[in-house]
Amino acid sequence: MNDNVITVKNLVKYFDGRCVLDGINLKVPRGCIYGLLGRNGSGKTTIIRILLGLEPPTRGRTFLLDAESTELSAKLHGRIGYVAEGHNLIQNYRVGRLIKLCKDLSLQWNDEFFNHLIETFRLPADRKVKELSIGMRAQLNLALAMAIDPELLIFDDPTLGLDTVARRQFLELAIDLIQQQGRTILFCSHILGDVERIADRIGILAASKLVVDCPLEELKERVKKLRVIFPESAPANLHLTEIINQQIQGREMVITAANWNKQKQTILETFKPSSCTEIPMSLEDIFIECTKPNPEYIES
Amino acid sequence: MFALIKREVRDHIVYFIGAAAFSAVFIIMAISILHNYDLRRQPPAFSIVLGIPAITIVIFGICAMGSTQMYLDRTRKISALLSTLAISRNRILLARIITGILAILTLLVPLIITAVILMRFVSFLFPFPMFPGIVFNISVTVFLMAFACYCIGLQAGWNSNPLTPSLGALCLTCILLPLIIVKGFGLHILVILVLFIVASLLRTWHTFMTTSL
Repeated sequence: MNDNVITVKNLVKYFDGRCVLDGINLKVPRGCIYGLLGRNGSGKTTIIRILLGLEPPTRGRTFLLDAESTELSAKLHGRIGYVAEGHNLIQNYRVGRLIKLCKDLSLQWNDEFFNHLIETFRLPADRKVKELSIGMRAQLNLALAMAIDPELLIFDDPTLGLDTVARRQFLELAIDLIQQQGRTILFCSHILGDVERIADRIGILAASKLVVDCPLEELKERVKKLRVIFPESAPANLHLTEIINQQIQGREMVITAANWNKQKQTILETFKPSSCTEIPMSLEDIFIECTKPNPEYIES
Repeated sequence: MFALIKREVRDHIVYFIGAAAFSAVFIIMAISILHNYDLRRQPPAFSIVLGIPAITIVIFGICAMGSTQMYLDRTRKISALLSTLAISRNRILLARIITGILAILTLLVPLIITAVILMRFVSFLFPFPMFPGIVFNISVTVFLMAFACYCIGLQAGWNSNPLTPSLGALCLTCILLPLIIVKGFGLHILVILVLFIVASLLRTWHTFMTTSL
């Protein structure tokens, strides 16, 4: 059995002649919480939809739980929980009816856990889905996805519309879930604080490509932002590769570099800077740097 | 599968109620005409005046059911939700078609039963001679015609441009009507209808399986 729950090979997707995904390669190992990040329209949802077989790829292949996405059986679908962006719930159904339908169409249903979630979220069974707030719809979608005891959970911006308390509850649930052996989560979100809190591997999509694919800690290790002060005016070119961003102001230069290592440090020291200090970077800072035009590739 | 069929029936219950109501109206009309008029001399004019629009409504109703099922699925993204559960697209479509067949049977079965009973007891009142199997022949043909209409509805509901299925429906009508008038109900009609239904279902299945949900 393959140890990767999700495998994407050379995935290409065009929409009306516009390239959205250009040769994406991605592997998510079993038990991993993978945070897939990218700006609006960068192709995160498209990757997820192709993975689930909801959208055909233009080229390339994708695999979920060892099966090709285009040929996912009903049984395999029953092992995957999915929270869609915008929450694809049948709007004119009452909550109770939707729950019953999902329960009837699922291979397994954890009543105890589901009821606990419904009580926690205080979801009314007698109201129509369209009468619920966006946050309540998100909670309902989440509860439905989790009730089937999924082996793989795919969250496409799951905390969108949730208030701070509900978001915290969701993150705690996700952490609880991952602690159960063998669970894997693919997680897309624009709230980078959430991703930073739970993800252990990060992928960043920019300019139709996956420019970052490595463990979170490694990413923080390898992307460095340095403030370098030179005795005289800062040189225009440091002759370093993989510079993500460079700003010069008189004697001061602020550089962001990918895959920072001793060799690059040595090259920098040949310019004899007066001082060189590291500016701490959060995942949000790294994300902003990586999604600028002409991003550098950071892969483990 | 049962849950899927139950969902379809509940969501489109209005068509089942309509089919049952139409069936009841047809039965009452048939019995009252047989009771009050001598069909061997001349059938009452109102039966034709009322019958033609009623049949047109039934045909459009059946077509509308298929169309509504697919249109609501597309706009409410029902299959997008269902196909992320332990259900394949094949099953979703199959459940939908079975529901359509059930609605057609809701309309036709009471009519067929009534026709059989009437033929058994008052066949001498009919304006044309009866032969064994006539009810079966007519029933199968009418069922297939209704199902063909339903298939056209399925296609029209899933396509954003319903022109092609509408043209298909027009062609089928142009072929079938002269054939029924000239040669009557028979195997040739059944073959044409079955071919049309198979082609129509294959096209619906292909578009449903390959479209993004």
